[in-house]
Amino acid sequence: MEVELSGTEDNWGVLLAAAQAGDSDAYRKFLHSVLPFLRSVARARTRSDDVAEDAVQDALLTLHRVRHTYEPGRPVKPWLAAIAARRAIDAMRRRGRQSAREVHDPAAYETFADVEANPGRAGETSAELARRMSGLTPKQKEALDLVKLKEMSLAEASAESGQSVASLKVNIHRAMKKLRLGRGKEDEG
Amino acid sequence: MSGEDMDRLIERLAADSRPVRVLAPPLRRAVLLLAFMGAVALAAILTMGDMDTLRTQHAGREEMMYIETAAMLATAALAVTGAFFLSIPGRSRMWLAAPLPAALLWIALSGMGCWRDLVRHGSDGWSLGHSSDCLLFILGVSAALGIPLFWRLSRAAPIDPLRVAILAGLGTAALAAFILQFFHPLPVTFLDLGVHVAAILIVIGAASLLRGRMLIRSEA
Repeated sequence: MEVELSGTEDNWGVLLAAAQAGDSDAYRKFLHSVLPFLRSVARARTRSDDVAEDAVQDALLTLHRVRHTYEPGRPVKPWLAAIAARRAIDAMRRRGRQSAREVHDPAAYETFADVEANPGRAGETSAELARRMSGLTPKQKEALDLVKLKEMSLAEASAESGQSVASLKVNIHRAMKKLRLGRGKEDEG
Repeated sequence: MSGEDMDRLIERLAADSRPVRVLAPPLRRAVLLLAFMGAVALAAILTMGDMDTLRTQHAGREEMMYIETAAMLATAALAVTGAFFLSIPGRSRMWLAAPLPAALLWIALSGMGCWRDLVRHGSDGWSLGHSSDCLLFILGVSAALGIPLFWRLSRAAPIDPLRVAILAGLGTAALAAFILQFFHPLPVTFLDLGVHVAAILIVIGAASLLRGRMLIRSEA
């Protein structure tokens, strides 16, 4: 199904219906044209550009997952607004939980390029790292691999792995915590 | 996230735009499921229900019994229909309140029935009849009815599963309480009524707690 329509608001319903039928061009046009609307809903809810951008990413992924629930012929805006608002609320809650239990301390990660200057880490070979990695769950490994090693953005990693952005963040956080704990135990020993 | 990253995300999503099967309107899906649940309930009542005892219990207040039964069924139907509507993004949140008037009418009429029995039978009206059996009946039947309901609701992958789970729990519990009437050998006392209400709240609570497993199919 080929849809030659502009991405104006009046055409959102037609574009989305075409996307449901598998028209990737219509879908691309639809996603680009609804982005400002999703941003405005997310910003109104979060009042923070950073959190709003997280919410918009999640909203796009959610929209993709539930695109079969849009009933052709019905208004698109309430459907989109509900998705963006829900993800904005989730992003705000997530941010609230993180700030309540985590301390931002950039100095804690400070290190030196010269291995000799970090004697405590001199023995940290790749073999040791691999051993510690074996204690992670498959999803934690995947999240770490995509985001930290392959340096993908969270959204890309999410599209690649099928894990939501929120799950990726949680899995990376837990993986890093496990790796740090492993190191702490060795230091104690 | 930069605009470039957002563009790349959109490209990835567009590349994955395989055709999807569009969900039928929520009202149609609700009616189909209610018809299925109703058929199962009717078969159970006709084969195993105790209609004579029901008539004897409610002798002299048949009209009230009909209204009470209608209120139970309305609660179940509105809650199940509301769950289907709320599983779709952007549908009215008023569906959450839709079954409440019928539910309040049902509880109020049940309470009046208990009061009548209390006046008629004295202290026996407070006794704990077969409450534990009733509790297990409502929990068991709700679980059995909940499986197809939650399975159908999960097709929509609800973005706000808590509200959907609450309504689905209320719907199955109300239907289970309706079926229970045909298997209840003794008049309902106030304590029985309390146990019935507690069973309904347990079902709603369990549905809410299990919403992640039962309603979200593809969430990581």
